Amino acid sequence: MDWLFFVFAGLAAIWLAYLSLTETFDLGWWGLLFALVFWGLLAYLVLPRLHSILTTIYVPDYFIGRARTSDGLLGDPVNLALMGTGEQITQALEQAGWTKADPITAASAWRIATSTVRRQSYREAPVSPLLLFGRQQDFAYQQEVDGNPAQRHHVRFWECPEGWLLPGGHRVDWLAAGTFDTAVGLSLFTFQVTHRIDANTDIERDYIVETVVDADPRVVVDVIKGFSSGYHARNGGGDTIHTDGDLPIIDVRALPLREEDAPVREGTPR
Amino acid sequence: MTATQGKVPEKRPAFEPAAGLLKPTGYDPRMPRPAATVAGAALVLLRTLGGVIVLAGIAAGWDGLLAAVDSAVEVLTPGPDDRRTGLVLVVAVGSALLLFEAMLAVLIFKGYNWPRVLVMLVATFDISTTFFAWSARGQDISVQNALFSVALDILVLLALSSRSAAAYARRNEQRS
Repeated sequence: MDWLFFVFAGLAAIWLAYLSLTETFDLGWWGLLFALVFWGLLAYLVLPRLHSILTTIYVPDYFIGRARTSDGLLGDPVNLALMGTGEQITQALEQAGWTKADPITAASAWRIATSTVRRQSYREAPVSPLLLFGRQQDFAYQQEVDGNPAQRHHVRFWECPEGWLLPGGHRVDWLAAGTFDTAVGLSLFTFQVTHRIDANTDIERDYIVETVVDADPRVVVDVIKGFSSGYHARNGGGDTIHTDGDLPIIDVRALPLREEDAPVREGTPR
Repeated sequence: MTATQGKVPEKRPAFEPAAGLLKPTGYDPRMPRPAATVAGAALVLLRTLGGVIVLAGIAAGWDGLLAAVDSAVEVLTPGPDDRRTGLVLVVAVGSALLLFEAMLAVLIFKGYNWPRVLVMLVATFDISTTFFAWSARGQDISVQNALFSVALDILVLLALSSRSAAAYARRNEQRS
């Protein structure tokens, strides 16, 4: 019965957005307020619900080298693989100058919004949830660029399911998606406020590899050339992306295990 | 060496979901309360508050309301006692319904499923009848009349029908 209400609510929301839109023309200056209400309904309720329904039907649910947004849209390209434990990855990133992102909560979302507007630093700013293997990233790391969260390097990590192999048969422990946030803008698909990303995702991928390798000589890297075909596409916010399709595998297994640094998975009660 | 020897992990098969929307939500008794459940319960409470205001308006303008009904239906000629009894009856029934609705909001917040389904059924009925009146009979829906009420119904339905709210309400259900 749940899916029936899910779909009916989506249709009802379209009608509500239409009613709000027609009201904007009848209320004079108050119409501006209703235009804002219309945008809020469209961006945060109607389009996400429609995307959820449609992408459930047409987007394949198996690994195709792309993360997905919480609405089911294809998100950032999965452009890094890692060998090692979560603790070792955490250690490698932190000694390379990366900062762990806060989990997304009402407080952290408010703080990233105000920090961006006021151009204040927020080194642990949260990143939006992207899904791989049907679940949100286990953790994310970032580097602020210009002293505020509008521009930043960031990378999300997912632990691979037990016994899972990459297409082609390689075994890796973790997958990651790294992209560079260039500015705050509106999503092309939902009109929500979001970060725009740099189209050349390979630059960010190679930057992440370089920082981690430079920080510790025990980290070694292998590359699966042409793991995917090189492609041009759009991410979940509608930004253009292009890649050569190579997949670096960062091996951090030589790093010592430090149990106290074990990352806490987002969404897991502390 | 074969995968069955346990040294090489076997490649996991990739399944296309037949209909992902029909997938039951998972068993997860420790699931934290999602924002959609909190928003849904808050909106139901807001609707209750709207009901309180409407009921207070009816009580305050009771005599005028009866006069309007009198002029429309000439058969009714209630005396002063009948008027008072009618008012008490309307306020009592209205208050009981509003109290019940507030109780549903609390139960939804606590994660029960039946109040969530009941509220969604009522909201679906309300939205459907209003939509029918708007589309077939040309009823005006604007800020001055039913817009806020229908908006609240739709927002309640959107929040409570979301996958996270459904998963939370069904977190204790073990289904194969």
